[in-house]
Amino acid sequence: MTVPALVLLAALAVAAGSLARARLAIGSIRGPLFAAPRGNPAAGIRYAFTTAFLPWAKESASGHLPTYLAGIVYHAGIFAMLARLVLTLVPLAVPRGIAAVLVALFGAALACGFGLLVKRQVAPQLRAISVPDDLIANLLVDAALAAALAASLVPGVVPLFQLLGAALLLYAPLGKLRHMLFLVTSRRLWGAYYGRRGVRG
Amino acid sequence: MGRVLRASWSAWVTAPALELLRTRLDPGVAAFLESCVRCNLCAESCHVYLADGEVDSMPAAKVERVARLYRRYHTWSGRLLPFLTGARALDTAGLEELKEAAFGRCTMCGRCTLNCAIGLDPAAVIGLARAMVAAAGQVPAGIMANVTAALETGNSMRIPAGEVRDTIAWLEDDLRSGTGDASITLPVDQPGKRVLYALNPREVKFFPLSIQAAGLLLHAARESWTLTSTDFDITNYAYFACDRSSAGAISRRLLERAEQLGVETLVVAECGHGYRSLRWEAPEYLGRTWPFEIVSFVELLDQYVASGRITLDAARNRDRVTLHDPCNLVRNGGVIEPQRRVLRRAAWDFVEMTPNREHNYCCGGGGGMLAASEYAARRIAIGKLKVEQIRRTGAKVVVTPCHNCIDQLLELNKHYELGVEIRTLAEVAADALVLPNHSA
Repeated sequence: MTVPALVLLAALAVAAGSLARARLAIGSIRGPLFAAPRGNPAAGIRYAFTTAFLPWAKESASGHLPTYLAGIVYHAGIFAMLARLVLTLVPLAVPRGIAAVLVALFGAALACGFGLLVKRQVAPQLRAISVPDDLIANLLVDAALAAALAASLVPGVVPLFQLLGAALLLYAPLGKLRHMLFLVTSRRLWGAYYGRRGVRG
Repeated sequence: MGRVLRASWSAWVTAPALELLRTRLDPGVAAFLESCVRCNLCAESCHVYLADGEVDSMPAAKVERVARLYRRYHTWSGRLLPFLTGARALDTAGLEELKEAAFGRCTMCGRCTLNCAIGLDPAAVIGLARAMVAAAGQVPAGIMANVTAALETGNSMRIPAGEVRDTIAWLEDDLRSGTGDASITLPVDQPGKRVLYALNPREVKFFPLSIQAAGLLLHAARESWTLTSTDFDITNYAYFACDRSSAGAISRRLLERAEQLGVETLVVAECGHGYRSLRWEAPEYLGRTWPFEIVSFVELLDQYVASGRITLDAARNRDRVTLHDPCNLVRNGGVIEPQRRVLRRAAWDFVEMTPNREHNYCCGGGGGMLAASEYAARRIAIGKLKVEQIRRTGAKVVVTPCHNCIDQLLELNKHYELGVEIRTLAEVAADALVLPNHSA
């Protein structure tokens, strides 16, 4: 195993441990509730993880369609990039067709990430609520996406991709990237709330 | 020396708020705080931000204010690298800003929650902020006065039981003479009835005709029902303060009274937060269930109309009517269609405002804002959005099943010269009621 691969492996372990610790630190979500449900919490959760993602499901998405779609593409690219990063540790060749799709996805995600970064720097409302973490997290993700794109085209760039991926993973537990861990919990609670009260689902 | 004293004072003032943040943070709220990525896509879903356009009014800015405290006290990166994540310690100025954000720029209507692209609940985060402010004893005095009154006397307006009984007796006489039906009764404190109809104290003091309207409808439906002269209060200002202990104590009084009277159903008069706090929150405050169901009068009325227990003649309400959806009853309570079904039968020309149902905008008076006089000017300003919604309908009558909303709409009506009539659903339904001949 190469040194960059070892660094990536170590970073994966550190990130997983730190994020698990962060999740444990907030404690367990409340158990059964006492108020009789009007609707079905499970249906609300299903809604939260399916049709609630549709661009017209929420005013925040339909009213900011370019930003929302950029966010969706960005995150799709990030998930693919992380999967590709892990795959660099195993001797597994990515089929040519999938590789082509990944190149397109990494490129689109990189453009979207950069666009979101510019928007954050330009829009006064966003600037007002931003912290250095917003900039660093975006730049690290964009760098990893760029490396993933390059590594998909030029195999010699894989070690750089691994090192940038390791940096991203080590940074993840420090700031807003932690949302990758808590988003599922949040969305589940959100869906259960509206499902239980018969408003959604 | 001065600096040391100021720091000590600040630490003393903020200690209870920090204690709450450190030790009683709900894991769900922590997950919400961790999930917000400050995308700000929710900004335009907030009626306060739409009205004033100020950065501090954006839901993401309000959440961020709490999140920075959370990071400082709950994450090691926030403790060690505060500049990175914007983590901030709480001082007296920060507590004042928190109060302003939580009580002065948010009505906890939950419209941002419904529209959060991520799927987190900013209203729950504001609830944490309010709880911290409450722990520090900084809740707006107007809200606290109602909490204290409810805890001390059983209702937020300190109305003695005798006054309730006198008011009901007067309403009963008036109803009998007005309808010519001597069999009409407004029963009080009668055990063993099917339904307990619980009141908002404002009805007793200022809007007795809404009690009369509900009484007439209950009579027409031949309901087995009673009012209570003690512990009748459905309102809960501690719910606004997010003080779970006091909110539970206030709810318990009415719930235990219903249990004592042995009713099958506790019917909550038209009051958004009263319904939500009793139906959805009180069982969680108190950690138990009750041997009766809790419904809104809106739901009961819908059942009466659907089952034919009462007949409504829409021709008796010819003016154009629109409906304002109270956030706590609709978006956060799930009572969405019953009021519409009733209105379609009770009003000749019922039109929806846009947006409506769970998407409706708060009137601006929610979340205890009406009781917090320091935010009165802002409350009227943020109500402009509602005024515009109403104007676009061309309605002459605005119906809303919530006395809190009614108070705000009455003020908006006057301030913006809307020229509409503001009414409860019961009042409109009572006007359309085809009185049955019970003696037949």
